[in-house]
Amino acid sequence: MDQTAPRSIPRRRFLRTAAGATAGMASWLALRKAPAYAQKRELTFLSWNHFVPAADDELRKQAETFGKANNCTVRVDTMAHLQMPTKIAAEAQSQSGHDMYRTASADPFLYENLLVTMDDLVAKLGKQGGGWYNFAAESCQTKSGWKAIPWFWVSFPGTYNMAHFKKAGFDGPPKTWDDLLKMGKVLKKQGNPVGIPISHCSDAHSTYWSVAWSFGGKVIEADGKTPAIVSDKTAQVIEWYKELYKDAMEPEVLSWDDAGNNRFILSGKGSWIHNPISPYNAALANKQPIADDLNHHNSPGGPAGIHSAPPNLSLGIWKFSKNQELAKEFIAYLFQKQNFDAWIVASNAFNHPPLKNLADHPIWARNPKFAMLPKEADYAHPRGWPAKPNEAVQRIDDNYIMADMIAKAVNGMPTKRAMDWAQEQVALAVKGQLKVG
Amino acid sequence: MATARSRGARIRSNIFAYANLAPYIFFVLFPFYFMIVTSFKSNAELYNLKSIPFWIQSGAIIDHYALLFQKTDFVTWMKNSLLVAVVATTVSLVISILAGYSLARLRFRGAAAFGTAIFVTYLIPTTLLFLPLSQVVVWLGLADSIYALMVVYPTFLVPFCTWLLMGYFRTIPREVEECALVDGATRIQTLSRIVLPMAIPGVVCAVLFSFTLCWNEFTYALTFISQSANKTAVVGVTSDLIRGDIYFWGSLMAGALLASIPIVIVYVLFLDYYVSGLTAGAVKG
Amino acid sequence: MAVGPRVLEVAGLPGPGRRARLREWWEQEHIFGYGLILPAVVLLITLVAFPFGMAIYFSLSDYWVGSPGAFVGMTNYRDILANETFRQTLQNSFVFTGIALTLKIVLGVWLAMLLSRSLPFKRIIRGIVLLPFVIPTALSTLAWLWMFDSLYSVVNWTAIRAHLINAPGPNWLGQAEYAMAAVIAVNVWRGLPFFAITVLAGLMAVPKEFHEAAEVDGASSWRRFWHVTLPLIKPVLGVVILFSTIFTFGDFNIVQVLTRGGPINTTHLFATLAYQVGLQGGNLGQGAAISLFIFPLLAMVVFFQLRYVRKE
Repeated sequence: MDQTAPRSIPRRRFLRTAAGATAGMASWLALRKAPAYAQKRELTFLSWNHFVPAADDELRKQAETFGKANNCTVRVDTMAHLQMPTKIAAEAQSQSGHDMYRTASADPFLYENLLVTMDDLVAKLGKQGGGWYNFAAESCQTKSGWKAIPWFWVSFPGTYNMAHFKKAGFDGPPKTWDDLLKMGKVLKKQGNPVGIPISHCSDAHSTYWSVAWSFGGKVIEADGKTPAIVSDKTAQVIEWYKELYKDAMEPEVLSWDDAGNNRFILSGKGSWIHNPISPYNAALANKQPIADDLNHHNSPGGPAGIHSAPPNLSLGIWKFSKNQELAKEFIAYLFQKQNFDAWIVASNAFNHPPLKNLADHPIWARNPKFAMLPKEADYAHPRGWPAKPNEAVQRIDDNYIMADMIAKAVNGMPTKRAMDWAQEQVALAVKGQLKVG
Repeated sequence: MATARSRGARIRSNIFAYANLAPYIFFVLFPFYFMIVTSFKSNAELYNLKSIPFWIQSGAIIDHYALLFQKTDFVTWMKNSLLVAVVATTVSLVISILAGYSLARLRFRGAAAFGTAIFVTYLIPTTLLFLPLSQVVVWLGLADSIYALMVVYPTFLVPFCTWLLMGYFRTIPREVEECALVDGATRIQTLSRIVLPMAIPGVVCAVLFSFTLCWNEFTYALTFISQSANKTAVVGVTSDLIRGDIYFWGSLMAGALLASIPIVIVYVLFLDYYVSGLTAGAVKG
Repeated sequence: MAVGPRVLEVAGLPGPGRRARLREWWEQEHIFGYGLILPAVVLLITLVAFPFGMAIYFSLSDYWVGSPGAFVGMTNYRDILANETFRQTLQNSFVFTGIALTLKIVLGVWLAMLLSRSLPFKRIIRGIVLLPFVIPTALSTLAWLWMFDSLYSVVNWTAIRAHLINAPGPNWLGQAEYAMAAVIAVNVWRGLPFFAITVLAGLMAVPKEFHEAAEVDGASSWRRFWHVTLPLIKPVLGVVILFSTIFTFGDFNIVQVLTRGGPINTTHLFATLAYQVGLQGGNLGQGAAISLFIFPLLAMVVFFQLRYVRKE
């Protein structure tokens, strides 16, 4: 029997496996429980994968600089924005995780009891920055105080193709939604329809809120509990959508994802969409000639004025964090003018500041195609307005109730029935019993 | 008793076969070719509706690869994938070798039942378990870490490898083992010094399949891990290069290619083992 | 066999002691056997059987991420059956699996027949044929995502130039039936190698004499195939179909990357819907109910397959 070779294999294998397992266990334990005295303070910050990667680079750079100046390390972890709600819920439930994170939508209200109150920091930064915009308070100020600091918002203007509009004989973009309807009909006949998604994507709802508010419609009353869809204002909105769909858009809007309208306008076919400035920036970055034809204009208005629901993001600190003061200092650092400015530039004008003084940046003022964007802050509201953002509003958005209502209506369901259906869904959302899909 | 076939007939038959295989080979290879071309095309040409998709007209660039390496955690993702694959494969192989030998060779009550149970476990799709497992992972304190994957991957590796190795162990003549036992070897020694070396082809096959399955795994990796820096290559490429409404197509293709290369290399080197592994179940088992 | 401790005792020699007795105990076939499968059993019980039980428990309770709820019996199942998205998913799954499987079986067997001829370069061709199966599915699906893009689709570009369709060509991933066709195409692209290679192995195992006897008997190639070849590869085909049915029903990667269930839920499969409802929506109870729906279907498939194959 061969004694040498076979004997060494199993022992080597066993030792290797054992060593590997031990090393694995040891490193796992080490990573999870580093002795405090051996570490500098570490501030952990969970943010999103910014749509413009350079903005994240700038953020990390600022984090590093802050860390050096304050004898600590700031760790910025990022993840895809669609996966964030689940992760945040997990951190909330397990009461462990990052010190601070980028909140979205109704988080300050959903996690009111789990987030640190920031009134002092808010007051300080507000004074230093010329005051917060209204929507900032609407998004972050709960009954027990400011639970998050507004960080930035993303403008949601109309993007239009100037060449198509000129060809159709219009000398400017639509100022009201009714204008859009009229112009859209002509443009569609010309072969350049407009596009608003009526599907399960965030853009669909951003536009719906905007249109509904402009007509004076609501989804939920200010008390946050009573459904307010059934009304003649909403009926007007639905009729408007129906006409737009029939005469100014094409059926493909029913299957768009968030990138659908980008593709639509960048292909040269579309003439108007409602979206952040990403298509224009993409065209510039990719050196596409259509960039010259694209321009932006403030969201159209309606009988009840101009309103929009731009995404607005804030910074929250968990109560379980052991670095609350450090986190607040870091936030104050981010809001210093030169830092915030650098970050705006890195994002290619994507990030808008929630403070009035910071909004005066040349990147907007000096570019005629961007100059109108900051004005949106004056008429922006968080979703759910006039109600404060809460769980019901969150569920309404997550389940695309309004998008479904419009989709049903344009596919033939009578307006009244569609409204009743949506009303029912909102009631279910309030009760927390919303059905899947 | 071979029927004599003329050379002409054989050539005709070969041409017939090739002619029928050609479209299929094209169908198989085209996506890869397309990935390569796309990953080297400049954005201007990529998004130009008038350009020809099949080749590069305006000069190849490496910007997409640069973005992949500089602006994403791609290298980290690859490291994570490698780490997870190596650890999970090692753990699974050890468990499977022991279990496979036991079920193939040893007689004890319930052996057949265990064997069937393990086979049935393999049939439970991962998509049935991923929701409860996402909670188990949180309870174990492994949420959002690659250790969760190292712990969970053996659940689908072990059944398959056990089954595979059972087949190989069975082909080893009992007499060899019995000789060893009579000569005074312990059972462990018999397994490790006699049986295992004779089953090396099966072990290699199991290692290859395990490594491939770990590397390619998507559902659990997507479900358990959220932060970019903790992702594996496959999930990282599919999730972090699509940001909202911006698709980084060139880098997506570059990432997809690069993340597939390790498997392709392993595959090319060990092709015969792959084929024998795939057929083992069907023919042997 | 080795001399046991009793014999030594009787002979008056000093007994081997506890350590040796432990080793004796360990050396027994059934103890050793149980011991060796213990790690596997522990693993599978804690991480498969237990979560499976949990899945059943979730599906019967009002369990949300972050807030375990109360037992609610069959409410989740009633809710999902009443939901049109789920019913659509049910339909999608059968359509998807049915068509994809049929294509894979037919094309797979045909491909296997082609490959079974003694061709030069056989090894390379086989290697190429297996490639889609070995590459990470999620990544190769990305290539298809780009190939089916609504604006830049190379598929459309080619079809338009070949005068098969009019510009601009269908929006593959944005229109109901086209999306299903696209998803099925990718599934077939990826799953066909598994069929082909496995059936090929089955074909190779058939002794040449069978084929040649039939040839000599003057049977036409079709009849030869149907009456001689097919029955001989039935067992192999049975196993492959079994595996493929399970994997196709439970498919997640392809749909998740290509369409995420859209457009308007027309390509949702159980797995993707469970992911959307359970993880993105947080409703683990309903998500689990959706996932578990596959199980009875699969159990039936497995049962019939095993009976059918065993009969042969």
